[in-house]
Amino acid sequence: MTGKNISKNNKRNKVRLSTPIIYIILTLLAAVYVLPLLWIVLVSFKTNAEVFSNPFGLPEVWQLGNYIFAWNTGKLGVALKNSFVVCTVTLIVSLLFGAMAAFGIARMKWKLSGAALIYFMIGMMVPVHCILIPLFVVFSKIGLTNSLGGLMLPYITFALPITIFILVGFFRSMPREIFEAACIDGCSIYRIFFNIALPLVKTGLFVTGLMSFVATWNELLVAMVFISDPMKKTLPVTLTYFVGPYATNYVQMFAAIVIAVLPTIIVYSMFSNQIVSGLTMGAIKG
Amino acid sequence: MDKLLRDKKAIAFFVLPAGILFTLVLFLPILYALYISLCDWNALTSPVFIGFQNFVDLFTKDKIFKIALKNSIFFMVFSLITQQIAGLLLAVVLSNLKHGRNTYKNIFYLPCVLSSAALGLLFSFLLKPNMGLNQLLAVFGIEGKNWLMDVQGFIPLTMWVIGIVALWIYVGTTMMLYMAGIAGIDNTLFEAAHIDGANKRQTFFHVTLPLLKPMMKTTISLTCIGSLKFFDLVYNMTQGGPNNKTHTLATWLYFQGFSYFKYGYASAISVVLLIMSLAVTLIVNRTINTRDFAA
Repeated sequence: MTGKNISKNNKRNKVRLSTPIIYIILTLLAAVYVLPLLWIVLVSFKTNAEVFSNPFGLPEVWQLGNYIFAWNTGKLGVALKNSFVVCTVTLIVSLLFGAMAAFGIARMKWKLSGAALIYFMIGMMVPVHCILIPLFVVFSKIGLTNSLGGLMLPYITFALPITIFILVGFFRSMPREIFEAACIDGCSIYRIFFNIALPLVKTGLFVTGLMSFVATWNELLVAMVFISDPMKKTLPVTLTYFVGPYATNYVQMFAAIVIAVLPTIIVYSMFSNQIVSGLTMGAIKG
Repeated sequence: MDKLLRDKKAIAFFVLPAGILFTLVLFLPILYALYISLCDWNALTSPVFIGFQNFVDLFTKDKIFKIALKNSIFFMVFSLITQQIAGLLLAVVLSNLKHGRNTYKNIFYLPCVLSSAALGLLFSFLLKPNMGLNQLLAVFGIEGKNWLMDVQGFIPLTMWVIGIVALWIYVGTTMMLYMAGIAGIDNTLFEAAHIDGANKRQTFFHVTLPLLKPMMKTTISLTCIGSLKFFDLVYNMTQGGPNNKTHTLATWLYFQGFSYFKYGYASAISVVLLIMSLAVTLIVNRTINTRDFAA
C-alpha cells in the first residue's frame, strides 16, 4: 500500500483514505450538520398545524406571514440594526486602540513594556461573568445600562487582550530597517504608525477583527443583563423572547431563528475559507 | 531613531487609551467583584461586609449550587474527552482526504460562527417531545424520549443531550486547530518514519501525536475554559430547569444576580468560576510539557 502512494501523494500524511466508506461517513456527518438548519427553514414557512401533520415535506402554502410577524412583533429589524451598530463600533475601536497599544508595547522602548503586555493578558483568563455585577451596578448609577454605548464598552475591553496579543507578534516580526528608513526621511512616530506600520499588519487586523466581530455578534449574557428596553436589544437577546416551556407560537419563532442566523450563514458561505483560516490562525496565536 | 522610540508622549498616546479602558472596565471591576463577594448585598440594601459567609453558604447550604458545580464539571470533562477524540479523528481523516476537504471542513466549522443562543433555541425545538427528532424517529417506528425534561439520575439524560449539542457546535474549532497542526508538520518526518518501516498506526502514535502536543495544549485549555463559561446554550435550551437540575455555574450566577438580585452571593459564584478558570489554565500549562517538541 505504502511506498507508491507516498511518493505520489505530496500531501503530508502517510495513509491514503480514498475508500468510499470514508466519504459515506463524512457525508452522513455533514447531513447531521446541515439537516437541522434546513429543517428550521422548511418549518418556518409552514403553519403551526402543518408542523405536526406534515413535519418533513414542503409547505402546502409558503407562509411568508411568519417572517413579517417575527420581523415586526419580535422587533428583529431593530435588533439587527442594533447588533450591527454595536459590532461595527466595537470592531473599529478595539482594532484602533488594540493596534496602538500593541505598537507601543512591541516597538517603543520603555521599561514597563513587558509588564504592560502581561497586564493586558489578565483579560484573556478572566471570564466575563466576573465583572458582570460590578459593571451592572456602576453602569446603572451613571446611566449606561439600556444604552448601546454601555454594551460597547465591555465588548471593546474584552476584545482588547487578544487583539493586543496577536498584533504584538505581528509588529515584532517587522524588520527594523523599515522604521529606520522612515525615520531618516523625517517621519514622525505617529506617521510611522498610521502610514507604515498599520498597513503592514493587515493580516493581523483581519484575523483579530474577525474574532472580535464573531464574538460580539453572538454575545448574549452581557447584552441580556444590561439591556431591558426592547428598542435597544441586540439579536441574541431578542431571540430569548421566544424561550420558555410554554411558548407555543412555533412557526414565528422558527422564522425569527432563521432571520437571526441567515446573515452569518450568507457571509460565511461567501468567505468561508478566509474566515476559517483567519479564526484558526487567531486561536493558535491566542 | 532611538530618541523617536523613547518619546514618552508618544508612548502614552499609544498605550493609554487601551490601558485606561482596560483598567476601568475590566481590572477594577474584578477587584470590586472580589470585594462584593465578601458582602451581604441585595439590590435594595447597601453592602454589609460579612467575610467568607457567602462562600460557606455556597458550599454548605446551597443544593442548587452543588448541582451547578457538578454540571459544569460534567460539561468540562465530557467536552474535553469527546472533542479531543472527535476533533483529532476528523482532523486526521480530513487532512488525508483528496477531494472535498474544504467543503467538509467548512460545513463542520459552520456552527462555531453561528450564535449559540440561536442554535440553543433551534435545538430546544428540535428536541421537544412532539417535534423534530421525535417526529423523525416516529417515521421509523421508534418512540423518542423527552430529551430536555428527563432529569433522573446523577447525570440526567438532559445533561448528556446538551453535552452532545455542545459537541456538535464546538468540535469544529478543535478539528480546525488540529488540521492546522497537522499541516504544520514537516513532510520529511513522515517519509523518514516510512523508510524506517513504521506502519500507519506507529507513525500516528509516534510522529503525528507527539508533534501535535503544543496544539493539544491550546485545544484543551480552550475547551475547558469555554465549557466552564457555558451559558447561552443551557439558558436557551432548559433555563436551568426542570427542577433546577440542569443549572451550570453561569446560569445559576445569572439567576442569583439578576432574578433574585443577590449581588454578593452571585459575586461569590463568579469568584468560584474565576478560580476554576485560573486553576484549569495553570494545570494544563503545567501538565502538558511542550518544551521538548517546540519547533
